[in-house]
Amino acid sequence: MHSLWLYLHFPNLQLDSYAIEEPDASLPRVILDSHSGIVQLNQAARHVGIKTHMSLGTAAALHRDLQVLPSSPKIEKQQLNLIAQRLYLIASDICFFSPQGLLLRVHNMLRLYGSLDALWGMIKKQLAPLNVDFFYASGHSPLAAKLLALRGWNKVTEQHDVILTALKKVDLTVTDLTAKDVGKLNSVGVKTVEQLFAIPFGELAKRFESHVITYLGQLRGEFNHPVEFFHPVEHFQQHIELLYEIERSDVLLRPIQHLLTSLESFLLLRDELTQQLHLTLYQRGKDPLEVHIGSQQGEYRAKHWSALLTLRFESLILNAPIVAIQLATGKTFVRCPDKHDLFLGKQGAVSRLQLVSLLSAKLGENALFSPSTVNDYRPECASQYTSALEIKESHPEYHQSLRPSLLLPVPVILCEAVSIMHGPERISTGWWDHHPIVRDYFIAMSQNGQWFWVFKTPEKQWFLHGIFS
Amino acid sequence: MKPTIDGLKNKRLLWQASQVGAAQKTLPSGFEVLDKHLQGGLPEQGVVDVSTAIGIGELRLLLPSFVLRQQSSERLLVFIAPPVHLNGPMLLKLGFDLSRILIIEPQNAKDALWSAEQCLKSGCCDGLFLWQQSLAIHQAKRLQFAAETGGALSIIVRQKTNEHFSLPVSLTMNFTAAPEGINVTVTKRKGGSHSEPFVVNMVKVWPELTHRLSTENVLPLATIHSLTG
Repeated sequence: MHSLWLYLHFPNLQLDSYAIEEPDASLPRVILDSHSGIVQLNQAARHVGIKTHMSLGTAAALHRDLQVLPSSPKIEKQQLNLIAQRLYLIASDICFFSPQGLLLRVHNMLRLYGSLDALWGMIKKQLAPLNVDFFYASGHSPLAAKLLALRGWNKVTEQHDVILTALKKVDLTVTDLTAKDVGKLNSVGVKTVEQLFAIPFGELAKRFESHVITYLGQLRGEFNHPVEFFHPVEHFQQHIELLYEIERSDVLLRPIQHLLTSLESFLLLRDELTQQLHLTLYQRGKDPLEVHIGSQQGEYRAKHWSALLTLRFESLILNAPIVAIQLATGKTFVRCPDKHDLFLGKQGAVSRLQLVSLLSAKLGENALFSPSTVNDYRPECASQYTSALEIKESHPEYHQSLRPSLLLPVPVILCEAVSIMHGPERISTGWWDHHPIVRDYFIAMSQNGQWFWVFKTPEKQWFLHGIFS
Repeated sequence: MKPTIDGLKNKRLLWQASQVGAAQKTLPSGFEVLDKHLQGGLPEQGVVDVSTAIGIGELRLLLPSFVLRQQSSERLLVFIAPPVHLNGPMLLKLGFDLSRILIIEPQNAKDALWSAEQCLKSGCCDGLFLWQQSLAIHQAKRLQFAAETGGALSIIVRQKTNEHFSLPVSLTMNFTAAPEGINVTVTKRKGGSHSEPFVVNMVKVWPELTHRLSTENVLPLATIHSLTG
């Protein structure tokens, strides 16, 4: 079986990444590189006469509302990664072949999809929601596919002669050969790939360096071309640069919605859930703001996370405008279906853990507790508040005396006339951990009929410590 | 009595005219006197508005019913904005499963009401105590609706006030201190009439916390040891 490769060239990666968050592109927008001038431009910009490699001054003169954005290889890399992740669902062998291009090995996928057209249809379908511009071509070697795609051949075929014919027409200047080599070849009258192919290797090797021979061999598919294939990441992490600075947290929810939607598809495909989302809001001129949202019950749905985020954002204070957002997941785990007992009767729409997540998103982490007991004679140590609904064993009590239902965290000085009804119960302990107490506890009744738990210290001071509610 | 009639009664298909409360499902409160006056006990779901001073035995009167509720279902019991900390050992001693108790300490009254509504309508909470001084009619209605949606019972504990309007809730009660227990007045009850004040005797359940036995000052053995030791 002949090897067959498919190359996808994305000329406007950075520009397309902005289009996802803001599809309205009535204004001309360009990406500017400090060395080569304008490198990417949208349809509106093309319409007013702006071309690639134009200088900023010329472009700005053509339209007064021109939007100029600095080129960022980082964004392009992220965008390419995103595309690779989507394509990985249908094609197994993907390679980051160049900063703007992806190489797919397709001959081993043909048996699965039946025909090349079927596979190409699937790839197009995967790329459609991303709204990216691309050129494509198939070839019998990675470099041939790349060369044809860069030329904008836009054909997918298995026929060797068709590919070869197209390849032969390509001008040498488009190839990956250095300008020096191309100049040398041109001076001897070799201008196209066809003419280059006509020269035997032996002849070329005498006059040109080895990398030209290697390139040519790999282009013809005669030399082996090792490529490194893409492996999808285990954890979700996505970063978006905002076109406009955002100062209000409610407006911030819209771009985040995109992130959550891609998180949902990421987790859904892996059949995984996550309990924690780490949202990083990059503030202009300030340290990034970290927002963690938890869902006690693992969750993947964007709808659910967005509801929690809305609650969280109500209490979020932005100190500076937000320029970029990054979303990452904490630990993920494989989903196990909810098991409902058929005979338990009516069950709520929300599970216990979902309720806790909902409450803690709104009220904060420090508002939810569960009571617990500790084996200690000191009443304030015996009763503890722990984080909500953590499953743990309660310590057995070894004192059986009556304890109040409401306990003051810190005893207060008793300033009410009470009559002692029961007592004393002396508690003298804690000498071993430097929190000693010596107290005589009494059950007392106030004049209004309230039952208090009071104690007297050796200094004869009286304190109120609990209420028998 | 014919066994068939018993069967029908058990299925709640047949009831006697004296059982006015049959329309509203009730659960025993753990105190016979209270059950009798409420014709069955506390409502199974809905909102109970309780006006009481703090520390006169209001929780001791209401909590036993929630112990029963917790034992019969797998759901949560929620305490929202208690005036001071709840004492874990006491709750354990009453028979609660502490891992199914949730305590919420919100920043303000608005958050407290919001949490109460969320908990009630979630369907995973069985009971809820909310310490909230003022409650508007529309807020009470929302809580009542949420409680009916989620099948939960909510107790709103308030200090005695002079507010005269009554809230649209399942049950309104007034508690005052009494030497042998607690003095209860049922002000308003859905599907029933108000009652004369009556005393719930707690002498048997809480001998130390009632007046009658105060003369029999029995010290626990441990106390004597600690005094002598």
